[in-house]
Amino acid sequence: MSVIDILTRVDSICKKYDRYDADKLNGANVAGDDPFARLYASVDADINECVEKAEAAKQEKNRATVVALNAEIRRTKAKLLEEDLPKLQRLALKKVKGLTKEELATRSDLVAALPDRIQSIPDGSSTATKKNGTWGASGSRTGGAIKFDTSDGNFDDEYFKGTDESNQFRQEYEMRKMKQDEGLDIIGEGLETLKNMASDMNEELDRQVPLMDEMDEKVDRANTDLKNTNVRLRETVLQLRSSRNFCIDIILLCVILGIAAYLYNVLKK
Amino acid sequence: MPSSARISRRNRMPRLLGTKLSFTRWNADWKSATSLYEQAAIAYRFRKDNEKAKDAFEKASKGQEMISSYPSPSDNMSISFNIPWDAAKHMESAGALAKELGLWNEVSDFHRRASEFYRECGRPQPASDALAKGASFLEDKAPEEAIKMYDEACSVLEEDGKEQMAFDLYRAAASLYVKLEKYSDAAATFLRLGSAADKCNAINSQCKGYLSAIIIYLYAHDFQQAQKCYNDCSEVQAFLNSDQNRCAMKLLSAYEEGDAEEIKRVAQSSAINHLDHVVIRLARKLPTGDLQAIKKDLAGDDGEDSLDENDLT
Repeated sequence: MSVIDILTRVDSICKKYDRYDADKLNGANVAGDDPFARLYASVDADINECVEKAEAAKQEKNRATVVALNAEIRRTKAKLLEEDLPKLQRLALKKVKGLTKEELATRSDLVAALPDRIQSIPDGSSTATKKNGTWGASGSRTGGAIKFDTSDGNFDDEYFKGTDESNQFRQEYEMRKMKQDEGLDIIGEGLETLKNMASDMNEELDRQVPLMDEMDEKVDRANTDLKNTNVRLRETVLQLRSSRNFCIDIILLCVILGIAAYLYNVLKK
Repeated sequence: MPSSARISRRNRMPRLLGTKLSFTRWNADWKSATSLYEQAAIAYRFRKDNEKAKDAFEKASKGQEMISSYPSPSDNMSISFNIPWDAAKHMESAGALAKELGLWNEVSDFHRRASEFYRECGRPQPASDALAKGASFLEDKAPEEAIKMYDEACSVLEEDGKEQMAFDLYRAAASLYVKLEKYSDAAATFLRLGSAADKCNAINSQCKGYLSAIIIYLYAHDFQQAQKCYNDCSEVQAFLNSDQNRCAMKLLSAYEEGDAEEIKRVAQSSAINHLDHVVIRLARKLPTGDLQAIKKDLAGDDGEDSLDENDLT
C-alpha cells in the first residue's frame, strides 16, 4: 500500500469516528455555551471579511464594483461599531463559570482592541477629507439636500467659503428656477383652457348622439320608401313601354302622317 | 305691377273661395283657402309688406288647424300624421314678422301658440325652440315676458327628459335675471342648470353652474347664502373633485379672511374665465360691499354655531 492510500484511509476513518471525538465536541460546546466567545468569533469573522473586501476593492478596476464594495464595508463597520461592540463589552464584564480572572482581563483587552481594528479597515472614505478641501473652493453646494455618506462626520468650518463664483452661481440658479416656474404657469393655464374646451366638446357630442340616431332612423325609412317607389315606377314604365303598345304607337303615327301628307297635297292643288 | 295685382287677386280668392259660407257653399273649404293664404303670405313677405304677410300667415295657420282637426277621407297621409305641424310653422313665421313690426304682445302670443301646436304634434324640441325664439325676440323690450318664456321652454324640455338641450336656455335666462338685477333668481337658475347637468352626466357644466351660483351670491353681498350653497354643492361628489370646487374654496376663504387682494387674484384665475361672460363680469367686480361687515357676521355666526355643536338635542 502506498503512503497516499494510507493517508486517505486514515482520513476517512477519522471522519467516521469524528462523533466520538470528545475534545473537539467539548471545544465546540465551550464556544457554544459562552455567548461572549460566540459573538467575538462572529465579529472576528466579519472583520476578516471586511479586510478581504478592502483588498479586493484596492485591486478592482471597475469603479462601480469598487463603490459597491466600499459601501458594504462601511455598512458592516457601522453595524459592528454600533451593535456588536457594546454587546461584547457588556458580555466581557459578565462572569462565566470556568473562566479565570486572567481570562476575564484578556477578554476586556480583546474587546478594547476591536474598535481600532474595525476603524482601520480601509473603506475608500480616507480620501474624502482631501476632496472636501477642493470642493470648498469651487462651492458647488447643490441646495444642501445631499448628505455625505462617510463615517467622518466632522468637517471644518473653513469647509465652505462663499466665494464670488458660488454666489453668482446660486443667483443664476434662482433666476433660472423663477423663469421655469413662470413658463410652467403659462403652460398650466393653456392646459386648463384646453381641458375646458375638451369637456365642452365632449358634452356637445353627447348631446348630438341621440339626434344622429334619430336622423339615421328617419333617413333609413325614407330610403326604403324611395326604393319601393322606384320599383313600382319601373314596373309602370315597363308596362307602358311594352313592345305591343310601342308598335301600335308607331303604326298610328305613320297613319296620321300619311293622312296629313294627303291633305297637304290636296290643299296645295 | 304684376306681382301686386297677383297678390291682391290671391288675397281676394281665399275669401271668395274658402271661408265665407254662401248660398251655394255649405261647408267652408279650408283646404284650398289655406293654400291660397300660404301663397299670399309668401308673396307679401317677398314684397316686405309685413303687416299683410303677418295676417296672411295667421289665417293660413288657422286654416291648417281647421284642416287637421277635421280630416276628410280624401286627405293624404301626410296631413293626418303631422297634425298641426304646418299650423305651428305658420304661427312661427307670423311671430317673426310681428317682431319686425314691433308688436310685442303678439310676438309672445304667436310663439306660445306655435309651441302648443308643436307639442300636439308630439315634438317637444321644436316647441321649446319656438318659445326660446320668442323669448330672444323679447329680451330687450319685455324681459319679464322673455324670462317667463324661457322658463316654460326649460320645463317643456325637462318634462320630456331632454335636459341637455336646455343648458343654453338656462344660461340665457340667468343672464337676463342678472340684467334685471334679480340675483337670487339668477343663482337659482344656475342651480337648476346644475341639477339638469347632473342627470345627463355633464360634469363640467354642472360644476361651472355651481361656481357661477356661488359667485352671484357673493356679488349680491349674501355671504351666508353663498356658504350654504357651497356646502350643498360639496355634497355632490363630482363637484368635490373638480377645479371649480378648489376655486370656490379659495374664494370663500379669502372672503372669510377679508382679504381683498386675494379675492381679486382668485377672480382672475382661469377657472372663472371659463364661465359665462356675464358671470365673469360679476366676478371681476368682486369684492362688493363691506368685507368687515361680513367678517363681523361670520364671527357672530361662529359663536352660535359652537353652541349648536354642543347642543345635542
